[in-house]
Amino acid sequence: MTLSELTASDRRLALVGLAKNTGKTVALTALLRELQDDGRCVGVTSVGRDGEEHDVIDARIEKPRVRLPAGSLVATTDGLLRASAIAHELVGDTDVRTPLGRVLIARLAAAGTIEIAGPSAATDVRAVSDAMLAHGAEQVLIDGAVDRRAASSPEVTDGLIMSTGAVLDRDIEEVVLQTRDAVELVRLPSVEDGSDTGLRLAQLARAGVSSVNGERVTLLVDEDFATVALPPRFVLSTEAEQIAELLDANPTARWLLVAGALPDRFLRNLVHAVHRRRRELVVVVADSTRVFLWKRGPDWYRRQGVELRTLNSIQLQAITVNPIAPQSHGFDSAELRGLLEEAIPDVPIFDVLHADYAGVAPIAGNATVG
Amino acid sequence: MRDAVDLTAVRPYADHLGDGLVQMSFTLPVPYSLAARRAALELAANMGFSEPEVVHYEELTEGYTYFVMFGRCTQTVDFAALQGEGFDIEYMNEDEIEAFAAEHLARKVVVVGASTGSDTHSVGIDAMLNLKGYHGHHGLEGYRSFETYNLGSQVPNSVLLAKAIEVDADAILVSQTVTQQNLHVHNLTELVEMVEAEGKRGEMILACGGPRVSNELAKELGYDAGFSKGTEPHHLATFIVRELAARAESSARATSATESAIG
Repeated sequence: MTLSELTASDRRLALVGLAKNTGKTVALTALLRELQDDGRCVGVTSVGRDGEEHDVIDARIEKPRVRLPAGSLVATTDGLLRASAIAHELVGDTDVRTPLGRVLIARLAAAGTIEIAGPSAATDVRAVSDAMLAHGAEQVLIDGAVDRRAASSPEVTDGLIMSTGAVLDRDIEEVVLQTRDAVELVRLPSVEDGSDTGLRLAQLARAGVSSVNGERVTLLVDEDFATVALPPRFVLSTEAEQIAELLDANPTARWLLVAGALPDRFLRNLVHAVHRRRRELVVVVADSTRVFLWKRGPDWYRRQGVELRTLNSIQLQAITVNPIAPQSHGFDSAELRGLLEEAIPDVPIFDVLHADYAGVAPIAGNATVG
Repeated sequence: MRDAVDLTAVRPYADHLGDGLVQMSFTLPVPYSLAARRAALELAANMGFSEPEVVHYEELTEGYTYFVMFGRCTQTVDFAALQGEGFDIEYMNEDEIEAFAAEHLARKVVVVGASTGSDTHSVGIDAMLNLKGYHGHHGLEGYRSFETYNLGSQVPNSVLLAKAIEVDADAILVSQTVTQQNLHVHNLTELVEMVEAEGKRGEMILACGGPRVSNELAKELGYDAGFSKGTEPHHLATFIVRELAARAESSARATSATESAIG
C-alpha cells in the first residue's frame, strides 16, 4: 500500500508531526508525486510554512521544496505566490492575515516550486480547504507545523497522517514509546461504545451549553446522569485542592464532560485525587486535539483510574518515519519501523525515502527532513 | 535628477545606481605576502564578485593577513516581491495609537501577557507591558486605550489562557527564549493549540516575542505576529490596534454579506 492509496477517501487530509523535523513535508511531497501520477487534482495548504529552503530555527537544516503540478490549487500568501513566479489564476481571496501576508487561493497555470503558508486557525483552515474542494480539488492536503495538531480535529479534516522520527530522542526505545503514546492519544476510544450509557453521555456532552451566556460548559455527571455544571475555566486553572473538594462533594460522580481544553496540569491533579479516593472517572473531550499531555500517555492515566474518551474520532491512516535527527543522530530505518510496528500493530508505517517504500519516492537528497 | 530604482532587480549601491559595488573585510590565516593578496583576489572572484580589488591589506599577527576589498556584485534581488510581507509596517506613535483606538475601537484594548512554561525571563514582557517600558517609550500599561495584565514568568499556558478568557482579552502576548530545543517551541505551540481547543482562536490576537522570534517563526508556530530584538512597545501597540480594526471590518463585511444574502 502507499500513502495515497490509504488516504484516497479522505477529502481533507491532515499531516501532523510529533515534533519539528519528523518528515511531514517529505510525506507531503511523496503524496503529491503519487497523486500527480494518478492524475488527481490536489489543493494544498499549510498551517505553518512549507517549501522554505532552510529551517526557521536551525538554518543548517535544509528543508524539502514543494513542487506542484499545473492545475493544482494552493492557499498561500500574496507575497509567496508572487515570489514563486508561477503563472496562476486567483480563485479566491480570504480575510486571513498571517505574519507573512494575506492568504489567497490560486489555481496554478504551470507546474512549479512554491512556498506555502496558508491560514493557521482551524476554522480558517477548514474554510480554505472547502473553497479549494469547491474549485475542483479532488483532495486537499493540509500540512502541519512543528507539533501542532489542531487541524487534525474531525471538525477540520477527515483523515490524518502522523509523522514521527529520531528527533524525538537519542534512545530508539524512547522514540517508540513517545510515538505509541501519541498514537494512543489520537485514537482515544469514543464515548459512544454502543451502550445506552455511552449514547446518553454523548447527548449530554453535545448539549452542554450554558443557558446563561451560550458558552459551552463542563459537566460532572453522576451514575444517575444528574449533572453539575462546573464554573467557567475550572479545567484550565483550578488547583488540586478544589478538585479534591469537587470529588468529595459529588461522591457518585462517574463522568466529566470537558467543554474545551484538557491540560496535563488539571489531569495530574485529578488523577491524584481520584486515585487517593480509590474512585474511577471517565473524562470525555470533543476530540483528542483538546487533550494536552506531558510525559505520560493515556494508558498511564487509565491505570490510575482516569480514562479518556472522545465524542469525535480521528482517522489515523498511516505513520511516516524519519530515522534521521538532523545535525544529531540517526537510527536504522528498518529497525525503527520494526519496533514501531510491534508497539503499534494496526497502523501502516512507512519511511517514504526508503527503497522498500511501494509508492513513488520523492527525490532523495532534495528531501532529508521536513 | 535621480534615476528611478528598479525594485525588481536591486543590487548594492556605492557611487552610482546599479554599480553593485561592495566593500568587505576579512582575515586569511596565511602570512602577509603577495601570494596572500593573490589568494584574496581569487577568493573574492570565487564568491561571485567581478573586478575584485584589494584596497588595503596588512599583517594582523604572524601568519595572518587582514584585507579590505571592493568587488562588484553581479547578482540582483527582487525587492518588489518581498514587499507586503509584513515587515514594512509604518508604526504609529503613542498619540496616534490613542487616536486610532478611540476612532476605530472605542473601547479599552485588553492585553494579557506572560513568560510561559519554564522560562524565567520576564524582561521582554515587562518592557512591552509595564509603565516603565523600554528605550524611552513606556509600556502598554501607560496607554489610556489599553488595559494590561502582566502575569510574570513561569506561567503555565492553561493559567495564562484562563486569565485571558476571564478578562475577555483582545490579545495574548507571550515571551519565550526560543532555542534549538524542542521544549521552548512546544511551549509556544501548546498555547496556540489550547486557545483552539477552547474555541477562542478567532477572538484573540496571539503574539509572541523573544530574542529569536521572527515573523517566519511566528507563522510556523501559529501566532499572528512575532516580535524580536528592537521591538518597542508602540510597535506592538500599532500591530494590535490595526489588527483589531481590520478584524472588526472583516466581521462587519461578513455580517452585511450574510444580511444581504438573507434579505
